[in-house]
Amino acid sequence: MSELSSNIPSLAPDGQRRNRSLILEHRGLSTDAIMAGLARTGAVCILLMLAALIIVLAITAWPAITTFGWKFLVGTQWRPNELPLIDAAGNIVYEDGEMVMSPPVFGALPVIYGTIVSSILAIGFAVPLSFGAALFLVRLCPKKLIGGISFLVEFLAAVPSIAYGMWGLFVLAPFLQRYVEPTLKSGLSWIPGVNAWLFVQTSTRTGESITSELPLTGRDMFCGGLVLAIMILPIITAISRDVLKSVPRAQIEGTLALGSTWWQSSFEMLRYSRSALFGAVMLGLARAAGETMAITMVIGNNNQINKSLFAPAQTMSSLLANEFAEASSEIHRAALTEVALILLLMSLIFNVVARRLVVGSNANTAAAH
Amino acid sequence: MTRPQLQPKINMSTDAQPTHAISDSAASGGDPRQFNRLQAIARGQAVPIETHSAIAGEQPVISVDHFNLFYGSKQALFDVSMDIPRGKVTSLIGPSGCGKSTLIRSVNRLNDLIDNVNITGSMRYRDVDIYGKLVNVIELRKSLGMVFQKPNPFPMSIFENVVYPLRIEGIRNRSKLEEICEKSLRGAALWDEVKDRLDENALGMSGGQQQRLCIARAVAADPEVLLMDEPCSALDPIATSKIEDLIQELKGEYSILIVTHNMQQASRASDYTAFMYLGRLIEYGPTIDVFTNPHLKETEDYITGRFG
Amino acid sequence: MSAARKRISPAYQNYLNTKSTVFKGLCIAFTAAILAVLAFVTFYLLQKGFTHISLSFFTELPIPPGMENAPGGMKNALIGTIILIALAGVVGIPLGMLAGIYLSEYSSNSWLGAPTRFISDVLTGVPSIVVGILGYELLVAPISANISYWMQFTWLTRKLLHLFPNGTFNGYAGAAALAFIMIPIVARTTEEMLRLVPHSYREASIALGATKARTILKVVVPAATGSLVTGIMLSIARIAGETAPLLFTALGSRLLTLDPANPFPSLTVQVFTYATGPFKEEQELAWAGMLILIGLVFILNLVVRLTIHSMQRNKLARA
Repeated sequence: MSELSSNIPSLAPDGQRRNRSLILEHRGLSTDAIMAGLARTGAVCILLMLAALIIVLAITAWPAITTFGWKFLVGTQWRPNELPLIDAAGNIVYEDGEMVMSPPVFGALPVIYGTIVSSILAIGFAVPLSFGAALFLVRLCPKKLIGGISFLVEFLAAVPSIAYGMWGLFVLAPFLQRYVEPTLKSGLSWIPGVNAWLFVQTSTRTGESITSELPLTGRDMFCGGLVLAIMILPIITAISRDVLKSVPRAQIEGTLALGSTWWQSSFEMLRYSRSALFGAVMLGLARAAGETMAITMVIGNNNQINKSLFAPAQTMSSLLANEFAEASSEIHRAALTEVALILLLMSLIFNVVARRLVVGSNANTAAAH
Repeated sequence: MTRPQLQPKINMSTDAQPTHAISDSAASGGDPRQFNRLQAIARGQAVPIETHSAIAGEQPVISVDHFNLFYGSKQALFDVSMDIPRGKVTSLIGPSGCGKSTLIRSVNRLNDLIDNVNITGSMRYRDVDIYGKLVNVIELRKSLGMVFQKPNPFPMSIFENVVYPLRIEGIRNRSKLEEICEKSLRGAALWDEVKDRLDENALGMSGGQQQRLCIARAVAADPEVLLMDEPCSALDPIATSKIEDLIQELKGEYSILIVTHNMQQASRASDYTAFMYLGRLIEYGPTIDVFTNPHLKETEDYITGRFG
Repeated sequence: MSAARKRISPAYQNYLNTKSTVFKGLCIAFTAAILAVLAFVTFYLLQKGFTHISLSFFTELPIPPGMENAPGGMKNALIGTIILIALAGVVGIPLGMLAGIYLSEYSSNSWLGAPTRFISDVLTGVPSIVVGILGYELLVAPISANISYWMQFTWLTRKLLHLFPNGTFNGYAGAAALAFIMIPIVARTTEEMLRLVPHSYREASIALGATKARTILKVVVPAATGSLVTGIMLSIARIAGETAPLLFTALGSRLLTLDPANPFPSLTVQVFTYATGPFKEEQELAWAGMLILIGLVFILNLVVRLTIHSMQRNKLARA
C-alpha cells in the first residue's frame, strides 16, 4: 500500500476506493473478450449464411449441372417425367418387350426468358412513373404533402406480395381478359405483323406446326409485367427521390440562371445522376426478377416460350413455387435447384452492381433497406 | 520507503542539447530567451522545456517523462516532460492544435480508443508506468476522472448518472448508492438544485448543471486526479464562474489538470500553468510567474495575445 | 454548359415552355397514377376483406368444403404465424443484433467489418423463394448422400445431423428460413441506430472506468432502445408477409398444430392455398385472411413511423 495517500484527509465520498490496485491480475476470460467474441459470432454468422446459400444450392444442383451442362441454359423443353421413346416414324420403341423410356429433360430457357421479359416489362411500366413521381416529390410537391405521399408510396412496398397476387388474379387478370386485351386485339391487329406476333400461337404436334388463335385468359406475361411493375414502383421511386434530392443545388441553379425551363433543369438533374438512377432501375429489376408470389398467381403457369405477350408463361420463381414441393425425382429437384441457383446469381449480380452505382453517389438511404 | 523526490532530469546522453532543463533565469548559465524556439521548431529541432524551479518543491502525482505521441506517422506530442503537482490545479494553455487535449487524454489513456496511436516515453502515476504492459486500464481510469468539453450526461436519470461509477464497482446497496450520490452532488455544488428531481432525465438540465453533474459523476468514482478538458468552453459566464469556484473547492482533495484556451480562466483558477505550442511543452511554472514574469519571449507573446 | 447566351427565337422558347409544362403535368399525373393504383388496390382488398371477415375466422379451424359449416376459419393459421414469427425471432433477433453491434462498435479495426456489411445488404436482396430452398435442403430433405458425407467431419455437424428433423416438412425449417431473411435486416438497422448514439456517451463511460462490454450494454444500447425496437418491428412486418420461403419448408396444414416438427400452418400459405384453389368459399375466406395480413403489416409500419417521428421531435426539443 503506497504511502502517497496517507496524508491527505479524505473528504471524498468513499476515500478507501482510491487505493485501487493498478496492476492487472489475470482473472481469466474478461467480459470484454466475451462480448467481443459474441459480436464477432454474429458477424461471422452473416458471412456463413451467404456461403451456405451458395454452397448448399450448388451441391444439390450438381447432378443436374453435370447431366445437362450448357444445354440446361438453352434447352426449351422442361419435362420432369419419363416418356416412352418415340422413333422417327412415330412408333413407340420397345426393347426386350418393355417400352424404352426417355429420361426427363430439363431446359431452363423458357423460365429464363419468362423472368427476363416480365422484368423488362415491369421496368418499362414502372420507371417512367417512378421517375415522374420522384421529380414531383423533389421539385413540385408542396412541403406539407411530401411526408404523407412518401409514406403512402413506401406503404406500397410493405404490402405483402400475395396481396398483389390475389388482386392481380381476381381483379386485373379478368379485367385484362374481358376488356383490355380484346380491345387491343381489335384495335391493333390490322397493323401488319402485329397479329402474327401477339395474337396467335403455334403448337407442334407430331411434327407439324399448327397456328391457331391465342386464347386470351388474362393470366399472361402482360399481366405479370403489370403486377411486377406495381411492386417495384416504391423501391425505384424511393431511391430515385433520394438520388435527386442529393443533386447539389449549384447544378440546378446553374441551369436556371441560364434561363432554362423547369423541364430543362429537371432533365439536367436526371442526366447528372444517371448512373445512380441506373442503379435504382437495376435494384428494381433485381426485385422484379426475384418476386415470386404475385407473379405465380398471374403468369399462367405455362412453361413455354411464346413470342406473344398475351400468352401464359412461367418465370424461374413461379416454376419453383409451382413444382418444388411436389418434385418427383432426385434429378427433378436438382434441376429446380439449378434454376434457383441461376436466379440467385442473377439477383446477386444485379444487387451488387446496383449498389455500387447508387452508393457511389451518396444517396444510399433508401437502398439500405 | 522514501517519497519519490523530483530529480532534475539531466539527459545523460552525449546529445549536446538538454531536453529537460530546470532553470531559473538567474541561476542558469545562459539566458533562455536567446534561443528562438519557434525557429527551432520550424527547423525540426528538439526544444528544451523551460520549467520553473518552484515545481521541484511540489509532490508530483503524475510524472510525464519524454512522452511522444504519434497519430499514425504524424507526431502530435514531442518529448513532453512535466510533473503534475499533487493537490493543486495545473492548467495547460496554448493555441489550438498545440496538443493540450491530446496530452490530457493520454493521461487516462483515452487515446487508446483511437486506432493507430503510438507512444514512446512514459507517464507515471503511483509508481506505475501508465502505459506499462501489466496496467489494469479500467482501474486506472477510475482513479483519473475526466470531464469533457461538452457536457455529456447519459440519457438516464440524474441519480443513475451519478451512481454509474458505483454500479461499475458492483455496489448495489440502495442506501449506500443514495449516500454517495448525495455526497457527490454536494461536492459538485448541485445537490440543492436537483435533490427533489433525482429521477428526472439528466438531459433536461441546463448546460451548466449538466457539466456539474458530469463533475459529480466523475467524483463519485473516487478518483485522485480530475482531468478537465476545457470544461467551461460550452457554458455561459455564470455557469463558468460557478465551475471555477467548484474547482477551487475541489483542489487539495483532488489534483486537477485543466486544459483551457481561456487565459483569464487559467490565471484565475490555477496554481501552476504549462504553456504548450505545436505539440511541445514550452514553459511550465507557477501561474503568477508565468503570467506576470514569463521566462520566455514565446510565452510572453502568447499571453499578451501576439499569436494564437 | 456554355456561358454564352444563345439567342432563342420566341417560337422555340414557346416550344420549350410548352414542353416543360407538359412534362410537369406528366410528373404530377404519374404521381397521381401511383397513388391511384395504391388506393384502388388497397380499397379493393379492404372491401373484399371486410365483406368476408367474421368472428368465426378467428375462432374456427378449417373445415373441408362440402361439410357443414365449411369453410370454417383460420385459427390454426393465425396461431401458426405467431409461433413461426416467435421461433424466427428467438434465433434471428439476437444474432442480428450481435452482428449489428459488431458492425457498429467493433468493426473499425477489423477486416471483417466491410465484407459483413456488404454481404448483409446483398442478403436482403436474395429472392425469398431461394431461401426456402435452402431451408428445404438443410432441414426438410432427407439429408442427401452428398451433404451427409461432408457433415461427418465435425462434431457439431454430426450432432446436427441427429438432432434436426429431416424427411418431413416441418415448422422449424420454416422458422429458420424466416430467420435467414430477418438477420440481415436486424443487423443493418441495429448498426445504423447504434451509430446514431453520440460518441460522447461512449467516451464518458470509458473514462469512468467501464469496460467496453458494459458501455455497449448499459449505455449505448439503452440509449438507442426505441429505434432498435422499430428496426425489429420492421423485420417482423417483413417476415409476417412472406409466403415463398414457407411453401416447401413448413408447407402448411389444415390442422391446429402446435408442434413445429410437423408440417406447420401459416396465414400467408393458407391464404395462397385458398386463393388458388377451386372452392369459392375458401377463396372468400382468403380475402378475409388477406385483410388481417395487411392490417397487421400496416399497424406495424404505422407504429414504427410514429415512434421515429416522436423520437425525432424529442431530440429537437432537447437540443
